[in-house]
Amino acid sequence: MPNRGLKRAVLIALLSAWASKTFAKKSGETISGRVLLFLRPGAISELSQGRRVLLVSGTNGKTSTTRFLVRIIEQLGAVTTSPSGSNLSWGVAGSLLKRASFAVLEVDELHLANVITQTQPEVVLLLNLTRDQLHRMHEVKRVADRWREIAERSPNTTFVVDIDDPFVNYATQNAAKVLRISFGGRSHPDGAVCPNCGGYIKWSSGLYECSCGLSNKSYEKLLVAANAPERNSILANIAGSLIGAPWLEVSPSELERTINIKSGGVTATIRLTKNPASWTEALTGINSHQVILILNAREVDGIDTSWLYDVDFQILQGRKVVVTGERALDMQYRLHVQGIESIAVENFTTAITQFSSGEHVQVLSAYTAFFELSR
Amino acid sequence: MLTIVRIHNELLGTYGDRGNADVLAFRAHLNGIAAEVVDISYLEILPKSADIYLMGGAEDAAQALSLTALEKGGALASAISQGATLLAICAGFQIVGESFTDGQGQEISGLGLLNVRTSPGEKRFVGDIKVKASFLDCEFTGFENHGGRTLLGEGVQPFGHVLVGHGNGAESVDGAISGNVFGTYLHGPVLARNPEFADFLLAKTTGQSTINYVDELAVEYAHWRRSVTK
Repeated sequence: MPNRGLKRAVLIALLSAWASKTFAKKSGETISGRVLLFLRPGAISELSQGRRVLLVSGTNGKTSTTRFLVRIIEQLGAVTTSPSGSNLSWGVAGSLLKRASFAVLEVDELHLANVITQTQPEVVLLLNLTRDQLHRMHEVKRVADRWREIAERSPNTTFVVDIDDPFVNYATQNAAKVLRISFGGRSHPDGAVCPNCGGYIKWSSGLYECSCGLSNKSYEKLLVAANAPERNSILANIAGSLIGAPWLEVSPSELERTINIKSGGVTATIRLTKNPASWTEALTGINSHQVILILNAREVDGIDTSWLYDVDFQILQGRKVVVTGERALDMQYRLHVQGIESIAVENFTTAITQFSSGEHVQVLSAYTAFFELSR
Repeated sequence: MLTIVRIHNELLGTYGDRGNADVLAFRAHLNGIAAEVVDISYLEILPKSADIYLMGGAEDAAQALSLTALEKGGALASAISQGATLLAICAGFQIVGESFTDGQGQEISGLGLLNVRTSPGEKRFVGDIKVKASFLDCEFTGFENHGGRTLLGEGVQPFGHVLVGHGNGAESVDGAISGNVFGTYLHGPVLARNPEFADFLLAKTTGQSTINYVDELAVEYAHWRRSVTK
């Protein structure tokens, strides 16, 4: 670190993290990044120099895929990352405080352009882009346009992309170095309009081919994956292989973001769910008769709950469903309209008591509630 | 049989407005009215004989595409002139107006079913909204997420007067109504948040003067959203 100003900023940031951990019992990651960027706005760029940087972005699966990519890259050397899913600029800044020759960072969709500019990554892995937190993203196309602009301006970065998502495909159409991967197609909740030409896309068993040329048939690699976690594990391995990491096998369950809690003899498996695509995916995994749904609508959850009607909850029909969270009533009424009755309770602790000892409950939880439960 | 047509949900379904059709059918059933929801995609021909037509919010390109399909044949105008009801939300509301501005900044002609004109505003309106309905003694809540500024012309009345939020971004009103055509910026979906409005549309369409069934959960939900939206 040749620069004294940067060195001082890093020391103060580390000190603030230590104080936050010691006195406030917090993780210290956010505060250190915030302090660092306050004292040294160019710190992300400065701290990225001399490192090999890989970024991961997308609507769903960022955190688990980043975690797995870290394991892959660790085969080559020391890696710094932000383990808590803190993916805005200060999270990135906080992760770069650690010395390591590799940085594998999860980046929020709207922060990606800035972070690419500042870190000059070797590889950017783009997983998917669907509607999420529309109060903040506004429109899916708007996010894709930002990605496309930065991809065009990043000639030294290789983009590893899943082109079964037309928005991801569109975003990297003009990038200098792209590795386009298809898993043989899948549906997309926002894919009726071509992001490139605005035309109507006719889909056929997960395949799309617009008259303007945007298509998921124009892949460099065609691979097979059963579900999103498996897909993301393959994409992470491909990203890793680009910088020389050996292929690492992982069980897809490792890539699901779940935590287990035991309370009064009831075991609960809690899975993070946060937007129509991730709820739809998570609901396909419901096989227990006992289910708890937790809905919040804070900033990172998305403050508008209208999207609940874009999710088909039919699989919950006939199961015992308990709903909780700050927006439990939104969920309860939405289920009611689909003919699914549920019990609404104050909080998760009360929700658990609705079940008997020995029972296993599957819990689908909004983002903010998931973090509170994982503490 | 009450036929509810959900128009181009794959285009006009970005903000959860598909739920309006589900709520209408659900409340129709609770009141003993047989009802079915028919989805009509961009590639299909819009039937003229349905009772209620619903349109939702969309991104710019999808909005333009939906308009091109609806312009052909004039089925929607024809159905409305024969007494059908239309509820159009956000981008759908703009489409049925006289004109709006597309994603490229071009002013394009709408379907002309409501005498309103929409132009882009500087700031996007995003957040909870509450309006005093102009046609019912009731406050409606919802969520708005749009950048349009909509001006009402002759022959239309506001959908509601804004209590919280922005609505049309002019004259402190939201939406517009003319005859059987209802336009508003309220997502939520608006009929899930405001069962009185759903029942109003059902009564209007079926000719039944009263809708009797009280769904307690719907009442509780609507009341709660009204009390916290301030």
